[in-house]
Amino acid sequence: MVVVPEFLIKRIYQKGSLKKLENGASVNLKNVLGPGFISGFNYVKINNTTYEAKDVKFIMNGQEYLGTEVSEENPVAFRLGQVGTLVMTGEQSVIDGINKIVIEALNPEAGVVRLSIEDEVK
Amino acid sequence: MEITFDKYSLMINGKRVFIKSGAFHYFRTPGIEMTRDRFLKMKAGGYNTVDLYFNWNYHSPSQGIYDFTGIKDVRKVLEEAKKAGLYVIARPGPFINAEVNAGGLPFWLLKMEDVIPRNRVGTEYKYSAKYMEYVAEWYDQIIPIIKDFDNVILFQIENEYATDSMEEDYIRELYKMARERGITCPIFHNDAYFAGLWADCVDIYALDLYPYINPNQNWKHDSFCFDTLDNVEDIFRCAKCDSPPFIAEMQSGWFDKWDGMGYKHIREALGDEHINIMTKTALSQGVTLFNHFLTVGGTNWGDLACDEVYTSYEFTAPIDEFGVPQSNFHKAKEINYFLESFDLTCTDPIDFDFYQENIYAKMRHDNTNNCDWLFIRNMGIPQKTNEAENGIFLPNGKTIKLKSCDMKICPINLKLKACEIEFSDAEIFAKLENEYKEAVFFISDKDANIYLNDGTVISGDQQDYTNFTFEKDGKTTNIIFITKHLSDKSWFLGDRMIFNAEYVLPNGAVAVDRNTEIAYFDLQYGFAKKNCIVNEFNNRASSLEALEISDVQFCSPEIDNDFDYSNWQKIQVNGKTDAFSCNMYNEFVWYKAKIPYNLTEITLSARHLFAVYINGKEIINRNSYKLEKLQEVPETISVPLNKIILNKDINELTILVQNLGFDKGFSGDTNNPRGLVLFETTPKVPIEFYVCEKLSPERTEKYESDNPYLSKITVNFDIDIKDNVFFAKYISFEDFRCRRATIFLNGIKIGRYIKRRHVQDKFYLINEFLKPHNTLDIVVWEKDRNVKSAWGFKSDLKNVKILLGTFKIYQLFK
Repeated sequence: MVVVPEFLIKRIYQKGSLKKLENGASVNLKNVLGPGFISGFNYVKINNTTYEAKDVKFIMNGQEYLGTEVSEENPVAFRLGQVGTLVMTGEQSVIDGINKIVIEALNPEAGVVRLSIEDEVK
Repeated sequence: MEITFDKYSLMINGKRVFIKSGAFHYFRTPGIEMTRDRFLKMKAGGYNTVDLYFNWNYHSPSQGIYDFTGIKDVRKVLEEAKKAGLYVIARPGPFINAEVNAGGLPFWLLKMEDVIPRNRVGTEYKYSAKYMEYVAEWYDQIIPIIKDFDNVILFQIENEYATDSMEEDYIRELYKMARERGITCPIFHNDAYFAGLWADCVDIYALDLYPYINPNQNWKHDSFCFDTLDNVEDIFRCAKCDSPPFIAEMQSGWFDKWDGMGYKHIREALGDEHINIMTKTALSQGVTLFNHFLTVGGTNWGDLACDEVYTSYEFTAPIDEFGVPQSNFHKAKEINYFLESFDLTCTDPIDFDFYQENIYAKMRHDNTNNCDWLFIRNMGIPQKTNEAENGIFLPNGKTIKLKSCDMKICPINLKLKACEIEFSDAEIFAKLENEYKEAVFFISDKDANIYLNDGTVISGDQQDYTNFTFEKDGKTTNIIFITKHLSDKSWFLGDRMIFNAEYVLPNGAVAVDRNTEIAYFDLQYGFAKKNCIVNEFNNRASSLEALEISDVQFCSPEIDNDFDYSNWQKIQVNGKTDAFSCNMYNEFVWYKAKIPYNLTEITLSARHLFAVYINGKEIINRNSYKLEKLQEVPETISVPLNKIILNKDINELTILVQNLGFDKGFSGDTNNPRGLVLFETTPKVPIEFYVCEKLSPERTEKYESDNPYLSKITVNFDIDIKDNVFFAKYISFEDFRCRRATIFLNGIKIGRYIKRRHVQDKFYLINEFLKPHNTLDIVVWEKDRNVKSAWGFKSDLKNVKILLGTFKIYQLFK
């Protein structure tokens, strides 16, 4: 398995993309690392709110992938340079100012990939 | 030799050179005869450089002790490279990965206090002065050897290194250490993340690229799997704008794992198409230094392997583990010959306004040949709607038919001596030329054409040796076609071509495996022919011979009750029992202890396979190797005991642990312990262990035992070794009934057999270890439930089938 250094994983997150939604939040991810697959979403945590896979969907090229549907048998191809939006629903979690975000996903080669960043909403 | 570079290429003594390198592991292909054979085959296949990892662990059994003698004599390896006319890329680590035990770091280093291997814990940077001190010791040993060879053109420090915070001290210090010890050629690092890492700390930025690392996926269905490669020129220019694009590891195969799909599957999955696309796409991106990793497959004999991989490190390499050129070798050869014929060391990308679904197209202007090259690839899925198979309509009005997963290099406005090619989608194989004449060999292709600028169109649908001659101003150009089948058996020696040979060595020696009519071509005399007769071994290859078992002996006296282990290493009561703590790094480690009758349970963790015996009887025998697919099996288990097992006041405990290798250290920690990692009793009592490594037949001549758990099957066989005959032999375990075995050829461990889904059942009898009269010892480690009675089991073993096979025989003719 490949361990990708944290500073490289952080490059996937598009700074400034955190949006407050009516009952949740969204962020954008851009694959700047190389062609690959997402084989699962474990959870997304924004500040103190944890969204489980069932509360997460990944939208790319107009297609929606529910977090619970993405698996090693049914991975999502994430091309180099592609941008996808991760939408979390359930409860409001975004605050004005600095937000702490943790996204935990799975990759067939790297295993668990954890992205931990901060983003500001003004 | 003066090595310089600019943004286009490396320059050797002021002359641009395209570096076509292949990786070779001398430790996995031991002995100078085998090294010479593989180097000459590489050279014959058009490679001009060999990439060598230097494996610290292989040479250093203990601190301050270095072995560069016999098969470990790297000076001889470097001499052979020089004799074969190959440049060398030297990669002495200190860390090399390569799926070798502990990633090439010596075991003694891993247990040293104050040493943090690679100055890294997980991905966190932690500088260790003590580690650097030992790295200096290694560099002091290896660099004086390397720097004696002027054909060493590049030197790598570390490998695939990254930390979270990317402090530069470590890489900069390694650079300085190499320079201080006399390395004068350019220094580089190999970035596994193609993120420009360490570009500012080295002379040339280099990266590795492996688009296919998951054999469960079909790369032919992932049209985007070459995304990184398709943009690699930008990555190089962003990382370091003044150094040439260098792919230090460019995928030419892939390794299989213990729970993998098997090399047959990987070779079929990659086919010839993968190496073709990898190499041609790299050329389309201006790459002028590449290194096919791996070009020569090898064998994890002895304790070379890390825990991930089994004995064969075939890697689906162009030259396989047995030393036999495979179909991807022929594809690499085609490209290497083309590069030998046309100098592509100085090219620039030019705009090419073209889009068609699934088609990658890139145009480059060639500043040397003053022409353009179109690189075009079809990634449409085979047997689905794939319009490109019917035709790719180019802006210049030409149409190309390209099969799925195929890629071509097409010349545009290429001036030859007596004609000019306006465009060709028939591919060039090689060119011979002198001042007045040239012969350009094309590969026949029924769907392709050569368009000359005078309006002539030559169909690519041609038979072997069809020749079109052009004359102009006293100069002659011959366009000669050869079919793909013949091109695989065609060999370019610079001033002549040789056809119909299985391979040809640079000295002109021709290898054939049957009676063959060899054809020769040179510009002075044209075609000539010669017959090579090899009746003698015509039918011997691929036949299997059942070997007669000469002896079966039970060979684990360590398990017997009366075994004397008083001279074994004693471990303090409750002291650590793992391999590092005991200084025992061999594959097999024995543990003996006395335990009282009142224990109700033992809890233990051992890596990777282990068995527990009490009073000579097996209690448990299991595999604790962690599984893939993101899951791990529990490594710590508890075994209940009772009075039937503990039937004496003081009982004798024996544990045998098989260590399949240390972590390779790419992501995990190399110093993850092996052996008996944890042992506890319920109720807790002090246990005094005695330890010893290796199996009895490796340690002593007297090993007959009463118990049947480990048995040694012995067979003897003779080999007819002749000059000018290349052969590759193996033993086959196709019909082998036992679950686990360790194989020794003339006392040298050459393989580990463990029955699995895609089991390795053919083991290469490494030529270096073969003699005219050979002894093969197979130590079987069986589970209790498979041993009905000692007598019956011994009788069964006398009837197991051990088959001797010949993979290939070639006779060489001068």
